[in-house]
Amino acid sequence: MISVRKVNNKPLNLLEKIYLWEIARGLLVTMRHFFKNLFNPRGLLTVRFPEETRPLPGNAKFRTRHRLKVRADGSPKCVACFLCQTACPAYCIHIEAAEYPDNSVEKYPAVFDIDLSRCVVCGMCVEACPEDAIAMDTGEIPGGALARRDMLLTKEALLRNLAGEPSLLGASNRLANEYLKARGEEL
Amino acid sequence: MTGFLAANRDLVIFTGAAAVKIVFFLTAVMGFTALMTLAERKVSALMQDRIGPNRASIFGFAFNGLFHPAADGLKMLFKEDFVPGRAEKFLFTLAPFFALVPVVALFAVIPFGDYVTILGYRAELQIADLPLGLFFVLAFSGLAIYGVFLGGWASKNNFALLGAMRGAAQMVSYEVVLGLTLVGLLMVYGTAGLQDMVRAQGNLIHGFIPAWGIVYQPFGFILFLTAAIAENKRTPFDLVEGESEIIGYFMEYSSMRFAAFMFAEFIEIILIAMLAATLFFGGWQVPYLYEAGFALPGGFQLPLNHYLVAALQVCSFSVKTVFFCWFLLVVRWTLPRFRFDQLMGLCWKLLLPLALLNIFITGAVLLKLGKL
Repeated sequence: MISVRKVNNKPLNLLEKIYLWEIARGLLVTMRHFFKNLFNPRGLLTVRFPEETRPLPGNAKFRTRHRLKVRADGSPKCVACFLCQTACPAYCIHIEAAEYPDNSVEKYPAVFDIDLSRCVVCGMCVEACPEDAIAMDTGEIPGGALARRDMLLTKEALLRNLAGEPSLLGASNRLANEYLKARGEEL
Repeated sequence: MTGFLAANRDLVIFTGAAAVKIVFFLTAVMGFTALMTLAERKVSALMQDRIGPNRASIFGFAFNGLFHPAADGLKMLFKEDFVPGRAEKFLFTLAPFFALVPVVALFAVIPFGDYVTILGYRAELQIADLPLGLFFVLAFSGLAIYGVFLGGWASKNNFALLGAMRGAAQMVSYEVVLGLTLVGLLMVYGTAGLQDMVRAQGNLIHGFIPAWGIVYQPFGFILFLTAAIAENKRTPFDLVEGESEIIGYFMEYSSMRFAAFMFAEFIEIILIAMLAATLFFGGWQVPYLYEAGFALPGGFQLPLNHYLVAALQVCSFSVKTVFFCWFLLVVRWTLPRFRFDQLMGLCWKLLLPLALLNIFITGAVLLKLGKL
């Protein structure tokens, strides 16, 4: 069934039919914006990203730049199981595993690179991680760069803790906290 | 050789002066065109509360986007120069030249100043003082249609051809109006030489109103501006390109060939601005400034150096040109596009009768004043 909606546009009056007056009014609007912004550029809406950023609104759970969480002793929680690398649809994670000399149970990542120029910020790596070692909660939105190598996040950059928020205190580190509490150590 | 030079001294000086004027004026125009490509983006950005391009930098200095024209040019140069397999190669190559040459040639008749006397030689500040300058302008702006149509036809692309068809219809139609709006000026000034027209605009009406064309032909000015924007194929008359629907006659062009079309359009903005200033706003005239200096209606006199007067006049012409360029940019970024039937209706049903009426009224008034 085709429904027809008839739009009753107001017929133009004589002044509008001549165009000129309406054109002049339109030009006044745009010229006002032009001169206002020319002499007072602070009113411009543009954010000069990436040099300049705006805080993300509210408590919104945005997926932002990755980070690797650390344990209380400062070692990465990551056990180099390659699940995130396998899950990544953009193939942007590169891991090289190594073994602790004194711990034959688990491995650690000797190299953990995320190529931000390929990352599609889907969060699959976070979902896949069995150790809850990778998170995308830094609140930083990765900006552009002039060279590809500047878009590479290395292990050191990923292990950088958030300012003012030691990673051990995060809710995601509940297990670590419980473990430490059981051992009677205060954080 | 020296014998030849001595025998044809006037000819040699004339040639040399003309060459200097061409180099000086065209360099200024081309430089300004490059800046216009930036101005277009900056002006539109400011009108829309944005910043506009500001990233291209040399050694970290961006100067708020001043290097963008150079960056654009370099990018165009390094693009692949692609010719479609089925295109008419010869005409496809020829079309950008047809677009560019008539527009550039028109600067020959634009007077950018009165005259300067250097070492006893009186150099007119106009490349070629044609007695029929106005008709030269109309004739050459009529040639610009070849670039559009050849480009669209030679590409063998349906959308390009559609754009070219629209362009041909639009330019032929508005050509008529453009010519008729200027007839009023011909009647008022009684000359078709642009330099003579500008000199005539140095007079005063009733001793204090500058006798600019806008005073005699305010109505003609509006018609001229409308028709000129339509000739320029820019919004609100940009159906030829119609960026959002058909790409237009230069759809298959890439690299510097495309840049030639783009450049021609921007040069045409400057040309229209210069023509508007020359014909209707006194060209290089500064109100109350004469060869000897300022002479205000109250009897106040301020004698000025000859070179200072010439510089002031060139400055005046530049300021008027820049103002009209800016105005054309603002118009382009304010108005929405016409529909094609509206475009043709506006031309044939509104502008053409009004232009004829303008001629009639001008003639009647001149007859009444006994000046015809």
